[in-house]
Amino acid sequence: MTPVIQAEGLRKVYRSRFGTRRVTALDGIDLSVGPGEVFGLLGPNGAGKTTAVKILLGLTRPTRGSAHLFGIPVAAPESRRRVGYLPEGHRFPGYLTARQTLSIFGRMSGMERAAVKSRIPELLERVRLSDWGDVKVKKFSKGMTQRLGLAAALVHDPEVLLLDEPTDGVDPVGRREIRDLLRGEAERGRAILLNSHLLSEIELTCDRVAVLRRGKVAAEGRIADLTAQGSRYRMAASPLDDSLVSAFRESGASVERVNGHLVIGTRDLAHVNSLVDTLRARGAMLAELAPVRSTLEDVFVDLVRTGEAEEKTQ
Amino acid sequence: MRAWAASVEEVFREASARWTLLAYFTLSTLFIVIFALAVNLDIVNGALAGAKLFGKEVDLGGEKIDMDRLVLGFETGFSGVLFMLGTFLALFATAHLVPRLQEKGTIDLYLSRPVGRTKLLLSRYSGGMLLAAANLLYLIGSIWLIVFWKTGVAHPRFLLGGVVILFTVACLVAFAFLIGVVTSSTAVSLMVTYAIFFFAMLLSAREKIAAAVSTEFSANLVRTLYWVFPKTAELAQGTVALVSGGTHGVSPVDPLAVYGSTFLFGLVSLALATWRFSRKDF
Repeated sequence: MTPVIQAEGLRKVYRSRFGTRRVTALDGIDLSVGPGEVFGLLGPNGAGKTTAVKILLGLTRPTRGSAHLFGIPVAAPESRRRVGYLPEGHRFPGYLTARQTLSIFGRMSGMERAAVKSRIPELLERVRLSDWGDVKVKKFSKGMTQRLGLAAALVHDPEVLLLDEPTDGVDPVGRREIRDLLRGEAERGRAILLNSHLLSEIELTCDRVAVLRRGKVAAEGRIADLTAQGSRYRMAASPLDDSLVSAFRESGASVERVNGHLVIGTRDLAHVNSLVDTLRARGAMLAELAPVRSTLEDVFVDLVRTGEAEEKTQ
Repeated sequence: MRAWAASVEEVFREASARWTLLAYFTLSTLFIVIFALAVNLDIVNGALAGAKLFGKEVDLGGEKIDMDRLVLGFETGFSGVLFMLGTFLALFATAHLVPRLQEKGTIDLYLSRPVGRTKLLLSRYSGGMLLAAANLLYLIGSIWLIVFWKTGVAHPRFLLGGVVILFTVACLVAFAFLIGVVTSSTAVSLMVTYAIFFFAMLLSAREKIAAAVSTEFSANLVRTLYWVFPKTAELAQGTVALVSGGTHGVSPVDPLAVYGSTFLFGLVSLALATWRFSRKDF
């Protein structure tokens, strides 16, 4: 399947006004998102998420590497014809009403006035702003502005959505609605690139994620695969004495006692089997052995901490 | 074309929401209404036999004044005032167009649409020009109509004066756009453009300044700056000369030197603004 969003070796170095200071925001990242896929871009502050999105939209030029949308280089305005974008902290002109905002941005995306006019009521309905269509944007709450931003991103029925913190400032019910809306768009074959700090939102919405750390992709894959990578197991056995725990630790496993059972961190499946052998050799009875799935937050925090530890040792 | 029209429409919607434009139209209207109501002329056989200003008789010394000459004199003098007023108000009404576009959280919304940066900037420039033209047409056109209504004298040259003012505005707004693109500040754009406006007026006395400075280098610098900057003093003179039709002792200006070099200044400013805007990282 041809990727809708593709980036290869993206590197961006920001230089200070007189070129005396350089900051590497992106250091050779590759991205690929296919149609109907919801892709999450994660990372701590300053990891390069926003820079990556800005390069994809032609707002910022890469120092090196290339990026394409629908196979068109992102420097060409035509690449954005089928793209809907919701930036973080966006500011629509306060003097426009919701209806006028959608009309102006719809036509800036190449739509005819009549086509925009007929689409606006449906869009306002979808983002629950039907009663606010003729109210000036400056009167909107943060959550309403966010929902208007989503409507503006969808106004020209784009095939790709790039969304930066789409649920920022939205109440829990609204969040769920936005999640459902995004899943609906994905089911219609829309590719979605989601940039968010809310890991629970990402976990519930995305098919695949990339974690950026200091401008590099620290991990990438399906959420199910990333969260299963911990190789942690919950073990219940009898007796669970200290000598058994010591033997496990000597084999290189991390062991935690939690409410009468053990949570064991292992290297791989062979390591788990060797621990079971050790347990049996000591005459203990195995009652339960089940993999413990990490949350996306666990994976994210581990990756960030590992990175920080590596930097300290260098 | 749709994107262009949407961008121009937004410029007008923004202008209509701003107090500055509302104040401009209110003041203009007030001025026009006062002018229309205050002046009452008694015209006999195409000559002014009597006049009342705010209901009081104006002493004409018992003489009959040729109406055509009187109107021309008024329009000639008034065109100089309009040059300054029209230019300043038009700059004030348009200088924010680029800095506001470049605000964080706003620029992304525009640049993420399939519109080239050059087209986006030029659409805002043309929106600003249409706005300035509408302002000028309202002010100059209304005065022209009132003069015609009160006197029956119509000088199309008075309307042509508005074209010179609009030309001046176009060149200065192009420069304000350049400063706006570089600094993202409305205040700085306005200050620098007004400074250029007055500095260029001073430079019209370049030969006197060159004679007063101590070195040949300074004298050449003054002459060079004169040719680089817009010829604001000469444009004001050109407006008045155009309206007066060569009467009232106002001599016409050298069109190539004045209009040509000012046009070049505006064109280079707009080209540089477009070039910088299209290469800027947001």
